[in-house]
Amino acid sequence: MWKYFLKRILIFIPTLIAVSLITFVISLNAPGDPVETMLNRNQGGEGQAAQKLAGEKAYMRQRSELGLDLPVFYFSLSNKTSSDTLYRIPKVSHREVLERIAFTYGNWCDVANYYKSTKNFEWELFNFKKTEESADILTRVKEYTNQLYLQHDESKIKNIFNNIEFEFNGNPVFKDLSGYFNSVRNSWEQIIHQQNPANRYIPVIHWYGFKNQYHRWLTNFLTGDFGISYQDKRPVSSVLPEAMANTMSLSLLSILIAYILAIPLGVTSAVNKGKRKEKVITTALFILYSLPTFWIGTMLVIYLCCGDYLCIFPAPGSPPIPEDAPFFYKLGEWFYRMTLPLFCWTYGSLAFISRQMRGGMLTVIGQDYIRTARAKGLPEKKVIWKHSLKNSLLPIITLFASVFPLAISGSFVIEFIFQIPGMGKVSIEALNARNYPIIFSTMMFTAILTMVGNLIADFLYAVVDPRISFSSKKS
Amino acid sequence: MKKLFRFIMNPFSAGDRVLEEAAREGAKHEGFWANVKKQFRKNKLALFAFRFIMFLGVLALLADFIANEKPLACRYNGNTYFPVFRSYAVDLGLVQWPTDLQNVEWKSLNYEWSVFPPVPYLPKNIDDKNSQSKGPFATQDVPSTRWRHWLGTDELGHDVLAAMIHGTRIAMLVGIVAMSIASFIGILLGAMAGYFGDNRLKATRASLITGLIFGILGLFYGFGSRSYVLKDSFASGLGGFFFQFLLSVLIIVLFLWLSRFVAKPLKKIAYLGKPVSIPVDIIVSRLFEIMLSIPTLFLIISISAIVEKPSIFHVMIIIGCTSWTGIARFIRAELLRVRSLEYIEAANALGFTEMRIIFKHAIPNALSPVLIAVAFGIASAILTESILSFLNVGVPAESLTWGTLLSLARQTPTAWWLAIFPGFAIFITVTIFNLAGEGLTDALDPRLKK
Repeated sequence: MWKYFLKRILIFIPTLIAVSLITFVISLNAPGDPVETMLNRNQGGEGQAAQKLAGEKAYMRQRSELGLDLPVFYFSLSNKTSSDTLYRIPKVSHREVLERIAFTYGNWCDVANYYKSTKNFEWELFNFKKTEESADILTRVKEYTNQLYLQHDESKIKNIFNNIEFEFNGNPVFKDLSGYFNSVRNSWEQIIHQQNPANRYIPVIHWYGFKNQYHRWLTNFLTGDFGISYQDKRPVSSVLPEAMANTMSLSLLSILIAYILAIPLGVTSAVNKGKRKEKVITTALFILYSLPTFWIGTMLVIYLCCGDYLCIFPAPGSPPIPEDAPFFYKLGEWFYRMTLPLFCWTYGSLAFISRQMRGGMLTVIGQDYIRTARAKGLPEKKVIWKHSLKNSLLPIITLFASVFPLAISGSFVIEFIFQIPGMGKVSIEALNARNYPIIFSTMMFTAILTMVGNLIADFLYAVVDPRISFSSKKS
Repeated sequence: MKKLFRFIMNPFSAGDRVLEEAAREGAKHEGFWANVKKQFRKNKLALFAFRFIMFLGVLALLADFIANEKPLACRYNGNTYFPVFRSYAVDLGLVQWPTDLQNVEWKSLNYEWSVFPPVPYLPKNIDDKNSQSKGPFATQDVPSTRWRHWLGTDELGHDVLAAMIHGTRIAMLVGIVAMSIASFIGILLGAMAGYFGDNRLKATRASLITGLIFGILGLFYGFGSRSYVLKDSFASGLGGFFFQFLLSVLIIVLFLWLSRFVAKPLKKIAYLGKPVSIPVDIIVSRLFEIMLSIPTLFLIISISAIVEKPSIFHVMIIIGCTSWTGIARFIRAELLRVRSLEYIEAANALGFTEMRIIFKHAIPNALSPVLIAVAFGIASAILTESILSFLNVGVPAESLTWGTLLSLARQTPTAWWLAIFPGFAIFITVTIFNLAGEGLTDALDPRLKK
């Protein structure tokens, strides 16, 4: 038995890693630059040189704080055009463009040179003394330079070069600047002349070791640091536990209620097979099973919760229950508020479990030992509630593994409709605000919760049914 | 004797035929599909569900002819037009609109005569005179009952009935496309897991290692070296992207095929030539567990968070890629049973390749339970899509589906028609597909229905 548990837990680990990898890959592809979002600013061409330098420094600091200056994964399989120094380029947008240029022309050294001379040129632009006549021209050239960082297409880059040249137009005021500009141009020519596109077909494997973003993210996650919320700059770990407690307590309670009601319902409908009672129960359960939760929830909120119609239950999003109220008042109030959400949460799984219960019970009742029990004159009640129920309960326990994720998924809609501050509501709000750290943390969390739920279901099953062992897998 | 002769003359095609005939003869006793049909017919409710699905399908196909702003037929400026048909042809690029019908307000034209569809609105049409959520029984500012909004309008003045009819199309499309993707993945993985189990797929170490290396190389040349090509085509349209994607997959397949030639000489080395079994079942079971561990809605929401321009097709693809587990389970269990049947052994004895046995002989005999999973799967795909559009997640806000209509009911609680009708449509559709699934379960497995 213990061996089975141990093996089951060991298998838990690769699944966890796989789930974390999926989450990480999705989070990598999130649009936007997280550093910019954290700094709350947009890239702009305006401003003084010192300001620009300070901004860039702040960017680099923030970036290394977030760990984004590290390579992405333990190793990388790439082509010869990409370099292992590329990830040091701060801005995501610049990096993407440079990567593409390097990919197209296959000579990273020249591309790096081009980037460096462009940076130099920009630096000189910002340091250039403004006079009244040159201010306009400088602003335009700064704008062009900014565009230059974002272009990878040769003709478009040439176009920008021509524009800049047109602005300078042999004006002796810009003599120094023209020099820097020419070096940018030359470095671009260099890229074109010394291109080696074949490099992109040569595979290269880099090994980065443990200092990478994924490792950092996973270890942080496991030690309880889930990142910082973009919106209010609070750590995610201060937002999530409360939300998780709400969701967990409600979904577990709803599952408990569903089990308590479903077992007698299932047994009654199985025992009365063919009678009118069974037909009513089965039909009602089938309808409940297909009723979309979000429809019922919406209707309940509109018609029963002090909107324009009846006022039986409190409107969603009422002020919180006062902390200093007596315990029983708080409990009563909580149940009063949660009646409708709990109803929505419960009825689906109730229908599901009792239908399964009915099926299980029917198979057991048809078996020989039940006939024997009846033949030896046991009272019907004892046959049903003692002999049959015990054996048909087994498969119901494993249902926990499929009901639990359903309840967690259900949290989404129900929390949204009834305005309960749980995981679902938190992640929908985060989604609308594009607050990625929260979205991906909740995804990881729900996945882990579901896995733990499956684990518990497996353990329960192994405890009640000693025949289950790891070697004989369920089919 | 004749069969044997045929077999000797043409061992391969005849072998298949012999097996097929044997299977057919075996089936003759019961007449499997005939029996299923009979059982299904007996179930009145399931039959009703099936007919209702047909009805929904017709509604979805003919949505443009039932609810449209354009007339079905009309005579205008001395010419007879069939504008609804013509709009299809225009979309295909076959013809152009005549100049006097370009960008016109179809309702206000001076027709000599015209036949409008039963519901003369499109979901996108905004009726300014009847905005602010006019109810079905309220007095509406329409020229005649012909133009009445039978199910009312929403805040902006969209016709609810038209949105409901076109919503059927979206719902059915989501169900069908998502389940096609899910069936493809599910059948493939489930069949592999069920047929091979943990120790029936054997490969020499040499082919495993070369396969792995060449597979990675294939990934490199198929996707790594073509990443920008793929990215650019994705930005310009789904069709071009699909072509480029297929090309990439083709490159990988080519590399895997090449690996065989490298593996051949390596097999002569004793260590590398030793066959080892690949635990397909364990691998697929892990995949199951991973898919089941991430609650689908959370996964879909995370993915739609990173898609910059979400469309209904993204939702379909994501639902399809996340809901294959049900189908895979069914077919895995079925193939576990089928693989030990005699005719598979016979096929093995005839020396057929494993792939041929799986795809030609094993899967076709295991497909029937998949129908059950597909019926239930369509129900849950439609439900998932409507939840997503209800939450305004992943579906563009301007497209009106059943879910978005229902979410409008939250904003205007007095408009009961926005809560009742779309909700009821979702409920009925989901119920009907579940009923069909139930009926199929009973019909396919009479043991359950003593």
